Amino acid sequence: MDLLFTILEQGLIYGLLALGIYITYKILDFPDLTVDGSFPLGAAVTAILIKNGMNPYLTLPISFLAGGVAGICTGLIHVKFKVRDLLSGVIVMTGLYTINMLVAGTNNLPIFSCENIFKNKWLEKLFGGEIPSYSKLLIIFIIVLIAKLLLDFFLNTQSGYLLRAVGDNDLLVTSLAKDKGNVKIIGLAIANGLVSLSGCVFCQEQKVFEISSGTGALVLGLASVIIGISLLKGVPFIKATTAVLIGSILYKACVAIAIRNFEPVFMKLITAVLFLIILIISMDRKKKVKNNA
Amino acid sequence: MRKRVLAGILSLAMMVSLAGCGGTESKEASSTDAAAEKSYTIGISQFAEHGSLDNCREGFLEGLKEAGIEKGKNLTVEVKNADADMGTASQIAQNFVSDEEVDLICAIATPSAQSAYSAAEETKIPVVYTAVTNPIAAELATDDKKPVGNVTGTSDVLPVEAQLKMIREILPDAKTIGILYTTSEANSVYTIEEYEKLAGDYGFTIEKKGINTTADISIATEDLLGKVDCMTNLTDNTVVSSLPTILDMANEKKIPVFGSEIEQVKIGCLAAEGIDYINLGKQTGQMAAKILKGEANAADMEFEAIEENSLYVNEKVAENLGITVPDTMKDRAVESFTEISESE
Repeated sequence: MDLLFTILEQGLIYGLLALGIYITYKILDFPDLTVDGSFPLGAAVTAILIKNGMNPYLTLPISFLAGGVAGICTGLIHVKFKVRDLLSGVIVMTGLYTINMLVAGTNNLPIFSCENIFKNKWLEKLFGGEIPSYSKLLIIFIIVLIAKLLLDFFLNTQSGYLLRAVGDNDLLVTSLAKDKGNVKIIGLAIANGLVSLSGCVFCQEQKVFEISSGTGALVLGLASVIIGISLLKGVPFIKATTAVLIGSILYKACVAIAIRNFEPVFMKLITAVLFLIILIISMDRKKKVKNNA
Repeated sequence: MRKRVLAGILSLAMMVSLAGCGGTESKEASSTDAAAEKSYTIGISQFAEHGSLDNCREGFLEGLKEAGIEKGKNLTVEVKNADADMGTASQIAQNFVSDEEVDLICAIATPSAQSAYSAAEETKIPVVYTAVTNPIAAELATDDKKPVGNVTGTSDVLPVEAQLKMIREILPDAKTIGILYTTSEANSVYTIEEYEKLAGDYGFTIEKKGINTTADISIATEDLLGKVDCMTNLTDNTVVSSLPTILDMANEKKIPVFGSEIEQVKIGCLAAEGIDYINLGKQTGQMAAKILKGEANAADMEFEAIEENSLYVNEKVAENLGITVPDTMKDRAVESFTEISESE
């Protein structure tokens, strides 16, 4: 039972990351490597603000904004300087390593002794002293739900439609007299904002900022997106964003099982194989590659 | 649609087969359980595969054995390695806490210790850490060495002062000591501060050079070797794994390199005032035994450090460099090597 809680908690936290990657990979068709840097960016911003006594709930929007700025940087490099999409992400990700170090002031910043979104005076008052253990999952669920609903809402606005059009058929955007570059930048900002928010929640759950926490974030998020989308595509009443979150939980369940039974050294290989199998089966990518060839 | 069903079946099959492996494992565990009267289960979360950390783990199990808790008899051990990844470290810790029902978590190195404590904070499971250089900075202990919660252990703080003194004895004319370190490793950053604080007392200045990945080693070493009279190593994971490269470059320029523990001297560092990680692990194992037997409570135990340090000398290296090691030091050395062994 506890294991189920852990998987749901972790799956939902990384679900925010997966939502961000869903925007770049699925909607914009932009392989965005910035996330390996914007995930720890959210964690770094959160740790240093909490350390300095800020209300932990305020770190949520602030880290979203910080990630948004990182996304805008990648967008500007790509759109204004015509650097290839993959490389723009690599450039910003590399730079963020130093930025994260400077923001946190160190490579490992623990916040054990501080209040966080899961444990604070306000919650203690709300629950009358003892904070029940399910509250952590509940809080994560609420944060993820709000993020998902806001994203769903945005995707149905006019800007949201433009965002989807850029990935599918950018000529349409140009023919509507809109600048497709700006739309891309907005998409990257939102995506990295979500990724950074994921880092923020992760940091408060772990109660420590660690510079290496973003390693492999992209692969992890991509796996969640692909598992979710390919397993649940076409199922009635399930939106793509919901599918992505479910994918993230499934991915974490696989990881949890793998950790119990294998040496972690094998995990990357297991992930890679699982990943490949689902990619081959879903065929989605294949069609696209063929069309472009 | 068919494809999707197939995908579902495949991932399901994968999960079932994974779970299947788990079944056999727990069966083994229960058979050992039955053999002893009072048996314990501990989970070891090790941050990376690395000579010193492996020694810690072995020492830890030895320490437990000395206290009558032996693997295979009345102890089930689950060892998990995070492969230097913070995310994996936290998953390992949460897995130990959530369903393995371990009696104690042993965490090796700072990130593992932090994630173990974070996962176990709301449970009754005690965490015993080792190879955490500065538990106070890691917020595992308060300024007066008292634990912040149900967590205690041992620190592997380097005997910086003894090392400086030893370098001064061997190289009376040296002025600058070079140190390579990885910017992402908390332990290294802390130890360098110690070096900078104490170097002046022995007439040294410290020239430090930070790297980010293994790929930076050659350039950083080349740059550093041009500026220093000798080099000294920390227990920095990235630097230590590239030590053969560094030694090669230093030997060409006849610049002596000092180590920080026995393994480094074995493979070609001139000398080291270091700590014995096996002993450190043993000490940790004894602390854990007390907690398991109910003789002590982790929440009341101050973290410990190894009091005495041991000198290791490699005479073959000294000969190659044309340096004479004072006889008094040779006598004092815990172990002298007369050859340079190949690194593993």
